[in-house]
Amino acid sequence: MVALSQALLNGVVLGLIYVAIAVGLTIVFGTLRLVNFAHGAFYAIGAYVGLVVAQTWGLGAGFIAAPIAVAIFAILLDRFLLRPFYAKDATSQILVTFGIALIVEETLKLIFGATTQQYPVPAALATSFSLGAITYPAYRLLFALGVIVMLVLVWFFIERTDYGLIVRAGVRDRTMVQLLGGNIRQASTIVFALGAAIAGLVGAAASPIYSIAPGTGFAFLVPSFVVVVVGGLGSFWGAVLGGLLIGELQSVTTLVFPPAANVIIYLCMALVLLLRPQGLLGESEVIRQ
Amino acid sequence: MTHVPTTSRGRFIGAAAAASAVAFGCPAILSAQNKTIVIGLNIPQSGPYSDQGNDQLRAYNLAIDQINKSGGIMGMQVQSTVGDDRTTADVARDNAQRMIERDGAVMITGGSSTGTALAVSALCQQKGSLFMATLTHGDETTNQNCHKHTFRRYSDAYMSAQALAKTLVAKYGTGTWFHITADYSWGHSVHDNLAAVINPKGAKEIANVQLKLGTTDFSAALSQAQAAKPDVLVITEFGADMVNCLNQAAQFGLTKSCKILVPLVDEYMAKGTKDNFDNVVSTTPFYWQYHQSKYPGAKKFIDAFVDRYKVPPSNGAECAYVDIMVYKQAVEKAGSTDPLKVIPVLEALQFNFTKGPEYFRKEDHQGVNSVLVVEGIPEKDRGAGGFQFARVLEDHSGLSVLQPLAGLACKMETT
Repeated sequence: MVALSQALLNGVVLGLIYVAIAVGLTIVFGTLRLVNFAHGAFYAIGAYVGLVVAQTWGLGAGFIAAPIAVAIFAILLDRFLLRPFYAKDATSQILVTFGIALIVEETLKLIFGATTQQYPVPAALATSFSLGAITYPAYRLLFALGVIVMLVLVWFFIERTDYGLIVRAGVRDRTMVQLLGGNIRQASTIVFALGAAIAGLVGAAASPIYSIAPGTGFAFLVPSFVVVVVGGLGSFWGAVLGGLLIGELQSVTTLVFPPAANVIIYLCMALVLLLRPQGLLGESEVIRQ
Repeated sequence: MTHVPTTSRGRFIGAAAAASAVAFGCPAILSAQNKTIVIGLNIPQSGPYSDQGNDQLRAYNLAIDQINKSGGIMGMQVQSTVGDDRTTADVARDNAQRMIERDGAVMITGGSSTGTALAVSALCQQKGSLFMATLTHGDETTNQNCHKHTFRRYSDAYMSAQALAKTLVAKYGTGTWFHITADYSWGHSVHDNLAAVINPKGAKEIANVQLKLGTTDFSAALSQAQAAKPDVLVITEFGADMVNCLNQAAQFGLTKSCKILVPLVDEYMAKGTKDNFDNVVSTTPFYWQYHQSKYPGAKKFIDAFVDRYKVPPSNGAECAYVDIMVYKQAVEKAGSTDPLKVIPVLEALQFNFTKGPEYFRKEDHQGVNSVLVVEGIPEKDRGAGGFQFARVLEDHSGLSVLQPLAGLACKMETT
């Protein structure tokens, strides 16, 4: 019983980490229709900026610097490279963003070397919380709470602000928004920067849990795509549901039958694609059109 | 009809012959004529084992430069061709094939994983090239999947388990054991060897959670371990995977609630896990601080390495260095780079570089040299930038821990 509750709790926290990585990817796809293979690269840049800043000014400064640096990088990419690709087909988008990811990885390798790096969990957080019979690392719990706060803020931005309104309207009819005087181009840039900043922040915040290497971005890109596909491409709540589902599945499978833990998330994705190709909470293309 | 002058025609035929020689895998002859020997260095420069791969590359470059400065091998300069195998078997095999066919490598060396070593070993056997495997610790490399063209100096999982036997019973007792194991040939080999040693003594294995190479989040397995409350947690993971797993285990409080065993360690893993490696028992075939105080050859190598790179060598780097030096000795003794002439020499060669007298066992081409049992020390007591990470508990001679011939599944080819 203790084992099961421990696995369920871990599933929630693991799931929230997946949600955090996937949510930026899904809002960018939802609003810009951009399949962004450079999302993992944003995560890696955030992790390295966090590492460098945290070594001198402390972890808190790292958490502030990472999303800002990544957002600036994303704005530059949007302005000078990606804009013509928003209207293009998925293959062109994948090629250009995959290229960005490779360039970022190799550049990080040049600057920081290929070796893996860590920064430790701050001493004050390097303990475990006891919740009845089960105990859990304090930092992971805090991370999960942080993800929940971040999700609320992102949801508020998209659903409750004027910018969010332009963004949502732009998804439905880009031309109409422009005719009505909405600055869709600026809104697109902001969404892209926001998605990137989230990935950068998560990269910095997750680094005390995972080690950092130039290839880290790709390691996180795969599960985040799985989460987005399961939840529904472009759906905010889909990413939340998909992440939590994948986290729980992985955690409980490790308890019941460990060898299947690696396969289960892909099995889940395959099942969703067969039974509900638009994802659990995704809109089908027919409805959209 | 176009008349082709004979000189051009001759040149054309010569070029065609040279091209065919390369295509059909006779580049050794060409290299010899060019007065160079090409060695393929096939190591992970990215991915979870890249710390180990990059350190091996440093040692290879040091060895090759030293050899070239002292006149090369039989007067031929050594050139290297480097490939990043990304700890992926397919990439490692493709790299080796390119090194042999395009670059004319007469010997392939490297590896930081048994998975890649097995792939490269099979290819080299097929191509008739020599493979000096470096960092591969799974038994298969020289046991179940041994090949005539493959030599492995690094100790194997069987040797580590045998070396650990006494300490395991004395320090770890025989209570409940929880294994987290890398899910590929090496992890399985280490787990099976440990289980064969400790389970008959009364250890009760309560779980063996196998996770794929490159796993970043171990929380599912660790929270399960936390609920199971084992006496011993065995982390059969390597490189950055081991670093992630042990550091996350500490966050789950497991380094305090149970004893940790890491069957194989190197300097970079100990550095990455800091105080979490304190009191953890492990094995290593070489530890620079220990060996430099006992063997002048080791000191000479370590001094040169530190002088050039400002850090001491890890155990994989030492093996890489010695593999190049042994190869030089064998080629000079054979008077040829032809693998079929070098192999019998290597099978009979006695060499002495960093660990006293050593040799390869003829029956399986496994290196017979010592294995250390070490125990991690707290970070505050570590010197040399964290590279001085352990105290040596036991030093086992190669022969005392080697798999007996009767237990070998190796069927060596005749050609």
